[in-house]
Amino acid sequence: MVGWEAIAGMFGKNAGTEDLEAFYPVRPECKADIPKTRFRPRAGKTLSARRWHAAFSEDGHLDIAKVLRRIQRGGIHPSIKGLVWEFLLGCFDPNSSFEDRNQLRQQRRERYGMWKTECQNMVPVIGSGKFITTPIITDDGQPIEDGGWHVTSAVADKKVAQWMLSLHQIGLDVVRTDRALTFYENETNQAKLWDVLAIYSWVDDDIGYVQGMNDICSPMVILLENEADAFWCFERAMRKLRENFRCSTNSIGVQSQLSTLSQVIRTVDPKLHQHLEDLDGGEYLFAFRMLMVLFRREFSFIDALYLWEIGSR
Amino acid sequence: MSYAYLFKYIIIGDTGVGKSCLLLQFTDKRFQPVHDLTIGVEFGARMITIDNKPIKLQIWDTAGQESFRSITRSYYRGAAGALLVYDITRRETFNHLASWLEDARQHANANMTIMLIGNKCDLAHRRAVTTEEGEQFAKDHGLIFMEASAKTAQNVEEAFIKTAATIYKKIQDGVFDVSNESYGIKVGYGGIPGPSGGRDGSSSQGGGCCN
Repeated sequence: MVGWEAIAGMFGKNAGTEDLEAFYPVRPECKADIPKTRFRPRAGKTLSARRWHAAFSEDGHLDIAKVLRRIQRGGIHPSIKGLVWEFLLGCFDPNSSFEDRNQLRQQRRERYGMWKTECQNMVPVIGSGKFITTPIITDDGQPIEDGGWHVTSAVADKKVAQWMLSLHQIGLDVVRTDRALTFYENETNQAKLWDVLAIYSWVDDDIGYVQGMNDICSPMVILLENEADAFWCFERAMRKLRENFRCSTNSIGVQSQLSTLSQVIRTVDPKLHQHLEDLDGGEYLFAFRMLMVLFRREFSFIDALYLWEIGSR
Repeated sequence: MSYAYLFKYIIIGDTGVGKSCLLLQFTDKRFQPVHDLTIGVEFGARMITIDNKPIKLQIWDTAGQESFRSITRSYYRGAAGALLVYDITRRETFNHLASWLEDARQHANANMTIMLIGNKCDLAHRRAVTTEEGEQFAKDHGLIFMEASAKTAQNVEEAFIKTAATIYKKIQDGVFDVSNESYGIKVGYGGIPGPSGGRDGSSSQGGGCCN
């Protein structure tokens, strides 16, 4: 008897899907909750590992124009996404050599290590492979005793207190980030995401931690095995996005993008604009999440990555 | 589907207290142990019946993080009811109620009905806020109060419906000018028309994408 799989295989229908599922496995019980993936690697269009490696000269200069043309036609094959993303996000200059990049990578890993130690000295749970979801200090800086991991004396410094108050918030969000992916069933992986976000919000205290940054950071943590490398990819992405996350009592940065969107729609489709104006007063808040986390929730994990790739540069 | 009234609700409270889970339980009758965190504002709707009249609840579910307060505020105006949620296992979410209430009082219309919900009451062994404390807070601030569980569905239906019944009673008592949409109430067929007389008539019943 011929199995269904064999028949499907003959028509080649599911070949692409199986390939992708192996890279970013989804928890079986969550399959119904997430959007269907439409991206398929296509031979001759998608940037493959072979094409990628062929785009480097002997000492490591990258023909970025050629690579970008291909990415725009068919995205990046999952097997090399992490490597390519470091260039797309601008972590490395395509005109640098292998040698230059190794050095830079080393320096960056050390710098991240220093920040991590600094944070660890204040809150020892950082870097332990565990993370917290309950507050470690009260709103006015008094320590909350409960695990032994935590703070022992009152925190007077405003920057430190602000940061400490965001740590359990980050934890509460980490357990809810891309929960459909098998990757985050593992507590060590959750802790990796927590560490990167915690350390980022310490370093960029002007912005701190705002919900939605977890959705931006998660792909980096999955694609880049090394935590420091993931951090630097996230840091690069945030250079472009951090203004969206700037919060004041009256507004959130992303709203300036919403008003740009509103202007665009008003110009290209005045009737649609009028309709939207009638519905929500023209604030375009329906698009808030789309622009804040760059369509991560509208598309499946893989499709969102594809969208980011073709939208880069 | 046609309604006699449409009530707009807003759900507020600290991050992770279960606002989205309460909404999901109410609209879809299911529970997700881990729910995606809400960015900005999300939306749900369901029909209920009060006094034999079909009433549509249009519910805005907000993000809990302090940073998003400016967005949440733009939804208070135009809400007839608010569900203010805390988590009975996390003391700090109860401690923050006063600040939520202050926001609501400042930005909502004065007649907004507020239901205080102590969520996760299925986790009795981890309780950090007693039922009496919840009751007392509600009493001190003129709120309706219930403990509920989005997980077991206990009191979820009741919380949404009791809020609606209170709003309905206020309409009967003539508290609202229902023709004024800023109260978060729309009149459909069979409701008491406002002075301008059933103003949205067929347009609110029709097949528009947002009805």
